[in-house]
Amino acid sequence: METIRQTPDGAASCGAITDMQGPSPTRRLFDKLLSLRWVLLAVIIVSGFIYIPIVENFRVSMTNRDIFTGEVSNVGLTNYQRLLDDPVVWRALLNNTFYALISIFFQVFCAFVLAAIIEGLRNRRVRNFWRAVYFIPSAISTTVTGLLFYFIYQPDVGLMDAALTFLGLEQFSHPWLALESTAIFGIIAMSQWQGFGYSTLLFSIAIQKIPRELYDAATMDGAGPVRQLFSITFPMAREMSGLMIIVTITGAFQVFNEVMVMTSGGPSNSSQVLGTWFYEQAFILNDFGYGAAIAAIIFVVTMLTGIAQVWYTRKRRVQL
Amino acid sequence: MSNTDHHQQQGRVTMKTSKHIKTLLLSACSISGLVLANPAAAEVVVADPDAQVDHSGTLSILTKFGSQQLSPYFVDIAEKYQELHPDVSIELIQETDDSVKDKTKTLVATNSLPDIFFTWTGTWGGNFIRGDRAVDLTPVVGPDSEWGKTLTPAALDAFVYNDRNFGVPLYLDAKFMGYNKKIFADVGVEVPESFEELLVACDSIHEAGITPVSLGNKESWPVVHYLGQLLVYNVPVATLEKDFDPSTAEYSDPGYVASLQQFDEFRQRCTDGAPNGTSYETAVQAFSDERSAMYYQEILEFDESATEETTMKPEDFGFFKLPVPEGAKGDPDAIEGAPEGYMVSAASDNIPLAIDFLKFVTSQENGKILSASPYGQPSAVIGGSDETTMNPNVVAGMADIDKASYLMPWLDTVNHPRVAAAWLSGLQSLTGGSMAPEEVMSAVRDAASAARQ
Amino acid sequence: MPVSAQQTAPTDIWSTLARAVLLGFLLCLGILVIYPLLWMALSGFKTNSQIFNAPFDLPTGFSWANYVAAWNQGVRSFLVSSIVVTASSAACTVLISAWTAYGLTRTRMPAKPIITAFILGGMMLSPTVALIPLVRMMQSIGLYNTHWALIILYTAFRIPFTTFLIRAYMLELPSDLDEAARMDGASDRQIFWRIMLPLCRPIIVSSVILHVLFAWNEYLFAMIFTSDLDVQTLPVGLTSLMAKHGTNYAQVFAAMTISALPIVILFFLMQRYFIRGLTEGIGK
Repeated sequence: METIRQTPDGAASCGAITDMQGPSPTRRLFDKLLSLRWVLLAVIIVSGFIYIPIVENFRVSMTNRDIFTGEVSNVGLTNYQRLLDDPVVWRALLNNTFYALISIFFQVFCAFVLAAIIEGLRNRRVRNFWRAVYFIPSAISTTVTGLLFYFIYQPDVGLMDAALTFLGLEQFSHPWLALESTAIFGIIAMSQWQGFGYSTLLFSIAIQKIPRELYDAATMDGAGPVRQLFSITFPMAREMSGLMIIVTITGAFQVFNEVMVMTSGGPSNSSQVLGTWFYEQAFILNDFGYGAAIAAIIFVVTMLTGIAQVWYTRKRRVQL
Repeated sequence: MSNTDHHQQQGRVTMKTSKHIKTLLLSACSISGLVLANPAAAEVVVADPDAQVDHSGTLSILTKFGSQQLSPYFVDIAEKYQELHPDVSIELIQETDDSVKDKTKTLVATNSLPDIFFTWTGTWGGNFIRGDRAVDLTPVVGPDSEWGKTLTPAALDAFVYNDRNFGVPLYLDAKFMGYNKKIFADVGVEVPESFEELLVACDSIHEAGITPVSLGNKESWPVVHYLGQLLVYNVPVATLEKDFDPSTAEYSDPGYVASLQQFDEFRQRCTDGAPNGTSYETAVQAFSDERSAMYYQEILEFDESATEETTMKPEDFGFFKLPVPEGAKGDPDAIEGAPEGYMVSAASDNIPLAIDFLKFVTSQENGKILSASPYGQPSAVIGGSDETTMNPNVVAGMADIDKASYLMPWLDTVNHPRVAAAWLSGLQSLTGGSMAPEEVMSAVRDAASAARQ
Repeated sequence: MPVSAQQTAPTDIWSTLARAVLLGFLLCLGILVIYPLLWMALSGFKTNSQIFNAPFDLPTGFSWANYVAAWNQGVRSFLVSSIVVTASSAACTVLISAWTAYGLTRTRMPAKPIITAFILGGMMLSPTVALIPLVRMMQSIGLYNTHWALIILYTAFRIPFTTFLIRAYMLELPSDLDEAARMDGASDRQIFWRIMLPLCRPIIVSSVILHVLFAWNEYLFAMIFTSDLDVQTLPVGLTSLMAKHGTNYAQVFAAMTISALPIVILFFLMQRYFIRGLTEGIGK
């Protein structure tokens, strides 16, 4: 695997005679600089493939480029002005917001309650079982679940309609993905089904960290399980909830696969989110400048949530 | 035959890769190399009809016949050509309908367009003219040239940009209403003579408990195809052509709104379910499974929608041109369709050889092979069809195309991309019942004025 | 919420009832989660008409025809692509990240906080924003539409997160072992390979698993940087299959099942590591 190299300090420590004054300042500086070799590769890769392209994206958003003629024209902030007049951008922002709000309700609030219920079960094996079952969809690719629900939602032949017919509720059958008013909600519903088990698992871990004595004391005082939930579990796991809200918002603004697979943003752009509208402009219509401007919105939102996350964990010192 | 057989170029790419790994870190650090210069000449390259053909070297071709059914066509032709000219080696890059756009864009972006490449008519082909990437073939394939006279005039004409011929058409495509003869007979309806009769026929089929026309509009272009045919019936051709160009577009002709209203009525009376949630594939399937009586399709699909394996048998398959609405003010003899063909790259270092190969592909003999099963693509070569080896419906469809006074191009390829996007999304809303015809037209007008700037 | 032992009879009835209701609720939810997946796997054994006409029936027989057809229609090559891309990028990512984490925790590097912030900051950036320049870059160096493009990008975009995980773990490790080794004259390189890596095994395993979970399911890069069927990974390949054979539900379901199975199995085998990685990862 490796040969013993003569490192500067190695040479000193191998022999019996050690230099009492330590290595010279230049040698020390050299050692310090040499230690940069550990991070050099990561710094180059991260700069080359993440930071520089992102800076480049802002440069591209100020230009319009025609791939067929190779002409690049500088258009300043025109693409950003276009954003303001583009109804689909607003629609996409609204859809991303719906995504975030609904996900916060199901994947933070409901998942928390569910985790509390599961952790309240006596048998450890049973607890593990439920957590694992609910987590399974999170391990599967969004493409698969998206396609699956595309089939489930299919009018007339899908599982959803069959189930409603089976239960005698035909009047509620509804072509979710085919209507402009409901397409995005059909997609969001799928996401909740897929994602709640993941947050439930994380909340379970957070709840396990709560000292048992608190519950014992509360039981002594005659508090029932519901009271305990509100007076102990909720407050104690609040940090986790704050974090989960931030993570959920970040995820909601980066949504792409499920929309692409289930509706491609249709019908009539009613289920576009920022990610899919960016894709359509940049890679289908070759309008790179405008696509880069849409990407800039995504950048701003994820940057803000990222900063919020760092600030939050610093402030709260989240103990996991 | 697996797909990988047709991706020999893949091998080349991966071989190059190892070399690239060394330069990768360098490239990652310097983005300056990313702004690619365009070496395409500022001058348009014009083909020289008297050039000597040097039958040696490699010839690369980007085709759109990547699907299992179609891929052998070019493989066989390349083999035949190489037998005639042993010093030529042909490299095929075969793509499918879905992937060819992406592939072309990549090749353009990296300035590595092959010698011969596939193109549609309209805006897509115009891109290559704008970028001076295609050879002006007028001297060799213009309408007065020897070669040009062997090709269907309308097809040749579709590749004219700025009054010059830039493309060689290979086959023709047009849209027809396919119908199930058995269902029509059972229900007791005749082939409709007018658009109004079609709507009445739909009512009768509906009463029999069958979907009259299966429509899958999840991808949003199928309805655009309906509209193209209705527009050419309702709006004079000169007006349409003026409106295709954003700089002169008005969209004020009353025929536009009339067409949209006709389609709206058709949608309500002839289709079932939620077309915007149904994929195109599903609609084809419903027709092949005899769950619907009609399905609007391209002549290229005739060979696929009724086969020996499907519920609907080939002998039950019939077709008719979408019938003309009463009192329509456009051209009743026009048909919606477009040829598809090939261009020669201006950057090719052996243009005469590329032209020679295209001449070989468009021989009568090779045209007949293309028109016959299993390919079933109606050749654009005059006399390039042999009725004995062809699906009779394809033969009849070709005759209809020949009779047509005008080929109405696809709305989504003839228009500026932003206008096309407005048509696609507006018509999807009309289909979903959330937009009125006037609203669709005003969205199209807005897009045209935005595209003008 | 443990229930105390001192319970009186009436509350006993109530708590039994409450427990029953809760269990019923958990069970219904479980069915809601598992049934669609089970239906997908079982539908792969049916014919199309069975799926349409009797969606709730069990398949009449376990004929593997659809699975075999899906396999031959391209799933085999998508699976190979997925394995190649996932395995290579996992190895690169974890190795480079462990290396970096070592440098950030065990050496006297100048400007350490800045470098740490720089590398970990990559976590906050959405890959979408880098896409357009990345496509041009990959095209110009000829890696577009190759496995290399995905391997490099997956590695680059996961280094920040993986470094974060391993660094946090190394910070927790007591440093007397490597100090002692250093006194004995071992070089940094030897300490890294012989001492640190074995000590970090649990977090390395977690990192590999989380990376596999990411790379196996990634769709955006995979869709944009590949166009040929023989380069496409499973998620993208499935959408191609869907476009081609979208009406042959049974076959598409079989393909979907084949692509979902490896990860589900991995999850059950490696649950402990999965959970550790997830919990470490959330507390940035």
